[in-house]
Amino acid sequence: MSTKAIESLSEDTVRRIADERDEPEWLLEARLDALDALETAALPDVIQTPGRRWTDLEALDFEALVDPLNQSDATERTAGDDEVVVLPFTEAFDEYGDVIEANFGSVLDADHNYLTALSVALFTTGTFVYVPEGVDVEDVKVRAEMNSRSLFSQTLVVAEESSSVTILESITSGDGSGERVDGDRYFSNLVEVVAGENANVQFGSLQNLDDDTYTYSLKRGVTDTYAAIDWIESNFGSKLTRSDVETELNGDGSESQIVGTFFGTDDQHFDINARVWHQAEHTTADLVTRGVLDDVARSVYEGVQDVGEDAWNTSSYQRENTLMLSDDAEADASPKLIIHNHDTEASHSATVGQVDAEDLFYLESRTINPRTARNMLVEGFFVPVFEEIAVDEFRDDVEELVVERLQ
Amino acid sequence: MATLEINDLHARVAEEGGERILRGVDLTVNSGEIHALMGPNGSGKSTTAKVIAGHPAYEVTDGEILLHLDEEDVADVDVDLDDDDYHWNLLELEPNERAALGIFLGFQYPAEIEGVTMTNFLRQALNAKADEREELFEGDEADDADDEDDAGYDTSPMEGPADDGEIGVAEFQEILSEKMELLDMDEKFMQRYLNAGFSGGEKKQNEVLQAAMLEPVVAVLDEIDSGLDIDRLQDVSKGINALRDEQGTGILQITHYQRILDYVEPDHVHVMLDGKVAKSGGAELAEQLEADGYDWVREEAFADA
Repeated sequence: MSTKAIESLSEDTVRRIADERDEPEWLLEARLDALDALETAALPDVIQTPGRRWTDLEALDFEALVDPLNQSDATERTAGDDEVVVLPFTEAFDEYGDVIEANFGSVLDADHNYLTALSVALFTTGTFVYVPEGVDVEDVKVRAEMNSRSLFSQTLVVAEESSSVTILESITSGDGSGERVDGDRYFSNLVEVVAGENANVQFGSLQNLDDDTYTYSLKRGVTDTYAAIDWIESNFGSKLTRSDVETELNGDGSESQIVGTFFGTDDQHFDINARVWHQAEHTTADLVTRGVLDDVARSVYEGVQDVGEDAWNTSSYQRENTLMLSDDAEADASPKLIIHNHDTEASHSATVGQVDAEDLFYLESRTINPRTARNMLVEGFFVPVFEEIAVDEFRDDVEELVVERLQ
Repeated sequence: MATLEINDLHARVAEEGGERILRGVDLTVNSGEIHALMGPNGSGKSTTAKVIAGHPAYEVTDGEILLHLDEEDVADVDVDLDDDDYHWNLLELEPNERAALGIFLGFQYPAEIEGVTMTNFLRQALNAKADEREELFEGDEADDADDEDDAGYDTSPMEGPADDGEIGVAEFQEILSEKMELLDMDEKFMQRYLNAGFSGGEKKQNEVLQAAMLEPVVAVLDEIDSGLDIDRLQDVSKGINALRDEQGTGILQITHYQRILDYVEPDHVHVMLDGKVAKSGGAELAEQLEADGYDWVREEAFADA
């Protein structure tokens, strides 16, 4: 086992967190199980190419990064509608304890890896979203601001039969108006989505933490029959980001789309992963990620489409494109297609390239200066993923961040 | 009257041991004139066009490309001009600066650019032209500030402070509709991405549209007639004639075929061979080439030498 024991972590720490939050016994047990799992759990797999381990999670100094009892955040949650429940867990246990208990951890095992176990054992923020049967809401927003050395967040979305919900989450660093935390920080974000029969969940996440922060994010959803889960995963901030977005297509006729964008500058590092498991008949998946790297930024992408034995009549598409704006940026991409059922229509592709010199010359020959021309091409590069983002407000936010980085 | 003057132009492919392509091109195009540049494949026609526009794939090893302007070409410029402002050495200028002075290159194979709509592109280009001209004619102070740090824009050049000269939406639409009508182009074009998925003919129409919008003093059109059906050829020809008749643009038209010259009648015809202009004449020269090919020109050129 490569990970080190973290001194500040003990059963006592975990009990104090659960106690302060007045949590039910089952959740304390779940946290303690997660704590135990730390003994044996490994860090997440990362892409390795000969002579190179692309994301060196083992080099992270968790001892210094993790400060479980001083977690602090300012999180605004808006439901936009009375029929949907959007609450921190602590305020939801009384009324929705049963729903939470039935679903918490049903999508994502705490002992999935070391970082998930750490997160479940220590989380102090996050959101419970409950969309009852037949309810249709578009404006659920969660705006989180991280204000401490480390912050662990856990979100659970339960969408019942024939419900529909659009959730937009944004994560930024506090402006330091509170007590200033200098040096490296760690943000962990676990999201579970349970999409019931014929339910429709759109979950957009925009991460723009400051460049002292290391981010680990794992979002996973499970679909019932005819359900759809669409993810939009946008990563702009953080020094190092490890992001996994995953859907298990467990119901016949269910669908998932995973749209990703990232834009790295300076020495930012993104480890972006999109995975889908086709485990029922007539399921459809569409994975689209586009990223831009400037300066000495690096990215590594892994996309997996896994078509199970029983996944008859599967449609599965994946494409990833990385655009390099600097000779010193580096990218690696590995799209994987695993097919155990021949009744599949699938495609997968990944490209890493630079701004096309002929395109640039074309724009310049129309009086546009080289810098503007390049920026137009970069914005144009993102357009195919913007077009997949159905929520105008979210698309505008992402576009704004792209433009900001181009200046 | 503006004049594009090319003297003894030598150019090669810009790489170690790159092939020498242009071996002493001499050519003068005045505004309001239509020139046809013909010649067999590999004679250097397209390279001439690209070098005029400043394509980075070629290195000029000798000769010069000058642009002489007169009062009417700088009527839009608000500042006091001295003699230098009327005479430009294009080889010292970036492609976008050459374009802003009024050089237009119609591409043989226009780039397809996803995600940038025609409307966005054309407005961007018109505004850039105004900004760039301001900088070019403003003189030394502006140049110094600009050279300091290419990457150091405080604000995006797209949203920068120089938007006082920006063309209004209504005005833009009006000019555009007029030009598109002339070229028989559908307005739906404007919402499409720049050349993306355009047919060969649509791309060529689009090149002429861009020339019409940018109002160049000299337009170099590289095989604008290739791959056009007869209807489209007529539309494109109408557009080219309008450039000359309405804007006084000088046209340097590179072509393989006599056909377009029936619609766009040249005042001068030049034949390129082996990287030089081997023979020049009037419209009748094109007909002679169509009938007899290029061999006789070559023989004549050799005999002269």
